[in-house]
Amino acid sequence: MSEISAGGVRPAWRSTPGTGAETRRAAPDVRRLLQLALAGLWLLDGVLQYQAFMFSKGFSDMLADSASGNPGVVARPISWDATLVGHHLAALNASFATIQLLLGIGIAWRPTVRVALAASVAWSLGVWWFGEGLGLVLTGNVSPVSGAPGAVILYALLAVLLWPSDRGSPDGPSPFAAARAVGAPVARVVWLVLWLSLAYFALLPANRAPQALHDMIAGMTDGEPGWLAALDRGAAALVAHQGLAASVVLAIALVVVAVGVYLPAPVARGSLVLAVVVAAVFWVFGQAFGEIMTGGATDLNSAPLLALLALAYWPAPAPSQANEGTATS
Amino acid sequence: MIPSWVLDVFAAIMLVVAAVSAARLVAARSWRRGGRSAALADIDVAHLLMGIAMAGTLVAALRTWPDGAWEVVFGVLTAWFGYRVARDARISGVRALAGGHCAPHLVHAGAMLYMFAAVSAPAAHESGGMGGMSGGAGGMRTLELPFLALLFALVLVGYCIWDLDQVSGPGTSGHYSLAVARAAPPGPVLAAVGARAAGAAAAGASGASAGLVSVAASGLADAIVAAPPVAEPAGIAQVPPASGPADGTGVLAPWVATACRIAMGVTMAFMLVIMI
Repeated sequence: MSEISAGGVRPAWRSTPGTGAETRRAAPDVRRLLQLALAGLWLLDGVLQYQAFMFSKGFSDMLADSASGNPGVVARPISWDATLVGHHLAALNASFATIQLLLGIGIAWRPTVRVALAASVAWSLGVWWFGEGLGLVLTGNVSPVSGAPGAVILYALLAVLLWPSDRGSPDGPSPFAAARAVGAPVARVVWLVLWLSLAYFALLPANRAPQALHDMIAGMTDGEPGWLAALDRGAAALVAHQGLAASVVLAIALVVVAVGVYLPAPVARGSLVLAVVVAAVFWVFGQAFGEIMTGGATDLNSAPLLALLALAYWPAPAPSQANEGTATS
Repeated sequence: MIPSWVLDVFAAIMLVVAAVSAARLVAARSWRRGGRSAALADIDVAHLLMGIAMAGTLVAALRTWPDGAWEVVFGVLTAWFGYRVARDARISGVRALAGGHCAPHLVHAGAMLYMFAAVSAPAAHESGGMGGMSGGAGGMRTLELPFLALLFALVLVGYCIWDLDQVSGPGTSGHYSLAVARAAPPGPVLAAVGARAAGAAAAGASGASAGLVSVAASGLADAIVAAPPVAEPAGIAQVPPASGPADGTGVLAPWVATACRIAMGVTMAFMLVIMI
């Protein structure tokens, strides 16, 4: 099992150079490192869920707000859930926070990684519906810049792609970490669908309006520290009345990212770097670091997950370049 | 406002950490004789002090010393672990910063110092200090430079995750040998450990056979890796099965210290985030 083999040796960067001993030590397993990053995000989400705001009526109101604009069949359970949470705020929110803490701990704790990843998928899907209104993707008023299709669904996607199995590549080493569990063709299709959907969202009429992007970014400044608010105001000024152009440029970039994984490795790497850059721009200017400094954030938003996904698709070194330890993992 | 019982639970966990750290200090007292007491005790002392300080921060009734005293305490601890990290860095290079033994403790001490030093002054005056995060009439305490709090929280979470991964692994890293102590084969097995750890273990573990390095004896893994450096080249050591309390089982088992550190890291990240 790879998650065991990955930890069965001392990480290479801890070895003492020049001694020869490091030849017995494997390079860190990329998939395990990505699992640990995912675990860290869950742990941080759990901590964020303990914030004072989450124990206030504002949290249940926030849940209820995610129903608006959604079809009735989606919205009604959200409203029911928001009412329930409002009535049992302390107990339920503390439970939510603890569950997320345990998911992070479970993924990081090797013997429970499968159970925790499976649980995280179920939890993510539940939160995506009841907590995020399916990321508002059915409302027609959603933007990849502000976090569409919802951070939590990306947690589920990562859990599936980072599942600790190696049935994906019967012909040899997987071309990238995300391919190991589901196979390269499926993983590439997942990537393509995700980033093309982001491009589609970028071109929605609500995002093409002249002031759409400006208003979205400017709206992130409330409650932020001065330096971040100033940064966002500057960015908003740059795209004032440029909604259509910004949407088109963004959509083109997202399409390039989407198809990049089908291209040769050097080009694919370039597209993945672009993906990380796009995610970073989203995170700073469109998501204000997940609004984590306002006291009302439940997660870091979608951008860190997009960057993590990009790393999961980073082409693996050719077999001749891989060291012995990597091959064994 | 955060329900007081949530804070009580975290405070109780911190008191448990403090108690366990005190027990480790007592249990290891004899083992620590021989000139290495400072190198071995500082981790548990730090855990003990942090546990008490955090419990007092979370629940006003558990408050012990004034904020200024804690600032001095954690200033000293930060300087001490900073010195230890710098010393490690001279030997191991920048790896000491990323994965060295003392780096997590430096971050923990630094985060505590930041928490006590950066708590907003008006709020501190309203309730006579930082004790009691629910705040009562004074409201929630907040920290100045919130981005620094976020940064500390991220690093603390990162160390927690890394600790969990390492402590639950097969355990040949030498840093955390829970799995070795629990699942070592009956005969000698090969394990790559640094001669630095080997030298410390051989010197300190009474159960270690001549020519062998007891990784179980490195049961005091924290201590062993923190021990004064000896010959740097790494080697292959033979590892007999764990045995005896002096080998780091019971309260001295390495996973106990690591579990304390994980609990403190999570609680510290929690405190930083809710005070942003």
